[in-house]
Amino acid sequence: MTVLISFDIDGTLEVGDPPGPLTMDMVRLVRDKDFLIGSCSDRTLSAQRAIWADHDIEVDFVVGKHMLPDVKAQFEADVYLHIGDREDLDRQYALKAGFDFLWPDEAVAHPHFQADS
Amino acid sequence: MTTPTAPDAMYRNDEGLGIWEHRGKVAAVGVGHAPTSRRWDGRPETCVGAITIDALRKAIDDAGVPPDQIDGLVVVPVTTTGAFWEAGKPLPMDVIQSFQQTDDPLDGIAKLSAEWLLANMPELTNVKFTMYGPGCMSNALNVTAQAVGDGLTHTCLVVKSWHNFEGRYYQGGANAGDALPGTPAITQLWGGPASYSTALQFAEYCRKYGKTHDMMAPFMENSRRNGLRFPEGYWAQHRPEELGPEDYLASRWIAKPANLFDNDIPIMMSGAYLFSTAERAQDMKQPPVYILNHASSNTRPRSLVPTLDEVEADTARTGRKIYEGAGITADDLSFENMYDGFSLFHQFHLEGLGYRGIGFGDALDFYQTDISIEGPNPVSPSGGNVGSGRSRVWMHTDCIQQLQGRAGARQVTGVKPEVGVSGGPMPLGGNYTVWSASPD
Repeated sequence: MTVLISFDIDGTLEVGDPPGPLTMDMVRLVRDKDFLIGSCSDRTLSAQRAIWADHDIEVDFVVGKHMLPDVKAQFEADVYLHIGDREDLDRQYALKAGFDFLWPDEAVAHPHFQADS
Repeated sequence: MTTPTAPDAMYRNDEGLGIWEHRGKVAAVGVGHAPTSRRWDGRPETCVGAITIDALRKAIDDAGVPPDQIDGLVVVPVTTTGAFWEAGKPLPMDVIQSFQQTDDPLDGIAKLSAEWLLANMPELTNVKFTMYGPGCMSNALNVTAQAVGDGLTHTCLVVKSWHNFEGRYYQGGANAGDALPGTPAITQLWGGPASYSTALQFAEYCRKYGKTHDMMAPFMENSRRNGLRFPEGYWAQHRPEELGPEDYLASRWIAKPANLFDNDIPIMMSGAYLFSTAERAQDMKQPPVYILNHASSNTRPRSLVPTLDEVEADTARTGRKIYEGAGITADDLSFENMYDGFSLFHQFHLEGLGYRGIGFGDALDFYQTDISIEGPNPVSPSGGNVGSGRSRVWMHTDCIQQLQGRAGARQVTGVKPEVGVSGGPMPLGGNYTVWSASPD
């Protein structure tokens, strides 16, 4: 099964401003599970790329908040999931684009982010 | 001592006033900035009052003036970026009790009074003149220049600070209530983003002159580039991120055609200056930067949103007032630092000035040429709010530093910095200052 995860940054990832609960090691974990991963943030595309490069994590996409439909069109997956901390800019955008959605705290506890599942 | 708001008579709103009577007789000398942050973290030492004291003390030190020689203080009392202390939210008593208090417990946390500042800056023992310049630093600078010129104060501090709390801005305050009084009942009732009126004007501008939003990209890239060379600014201090064309053009719309980066980022900040008479300024630590004129626009639009025609008429009128009072022409400007927060109205200010000979409809083409600090036509060398976050202060600091020759990596090199202009905010309704390296 192919899983695609889109990460918001600020308030979601530990490197965000404010920091969120998802660590970069958790991102590496799903990367190692061969999930398709990337970021979907109001940060500039170049800034998103720089964050991933700084942490030596290869991602499949970086997009703006409004570009989840483009991600869905570009990648075939069985599960499309967006993780973010805002009702208006994360949850609503995700659901409208046909993504599943998790709040950061929910994501931390989700089986996707457990090593043995 | 109760601090009054500046009376209308202190502003130069009209054409035909002639040369400003204090032209070249008032000078800015000291500059002080507190560290920026995205939002208040709740600590006493980072509240808006504390950072204001920090900025003021830095300006005093920068000018090399003993605090007891300072006899004036001009303050912008409103500090909100659009973030308000929620009704019913417990007061931060530990913060409040860390300072000398006034009658208002949120003084120094969500607003600023001159009385609070003086109570918490015991070194200012001889301040006899205090006044409020409402709104933003551009206004307070006009008040300060006029006050020094009129002899109401001879050595005067002026300060503007911003607080930003957690949560979304413009969602609290009156907007969170069940009713809106007065004009906001019509202008804010529908929940349009703050930039919507500028977006409407810009859309009409593009239609009228056959331009596109994409043509803003060089201006945005240049502004952020300059901002990243502004060590006092938010982006330079916290997120040194370029804003290239791909980054800018990929951003989502806030009020189409205004995108996310056409709107400035709200931050915590404080900026302060020390003004004095030209005569006293000669003995201070930094070179004086002389005020050639201040001018204001108090034009009221005919309806809720100024039309493009009204914008163009008023920016042209403002340009004429700026030049008339300073006794200069557009050819005398070495650079310009007109306001940019929202970025989509910077070109209205530029065209009103006739900067480098451009007319209405020319600015976006002008942006496609060399507008860098190294070129012959520097545009917004401060980087403005695009480059350093919401403050409406960077443009003034940059004018002072450019003319003092201490703008560092941001120093204009394509022209000799002799005369600059800064001010805003809106094309209709703003305050402007003409700065010069020499008094005449």
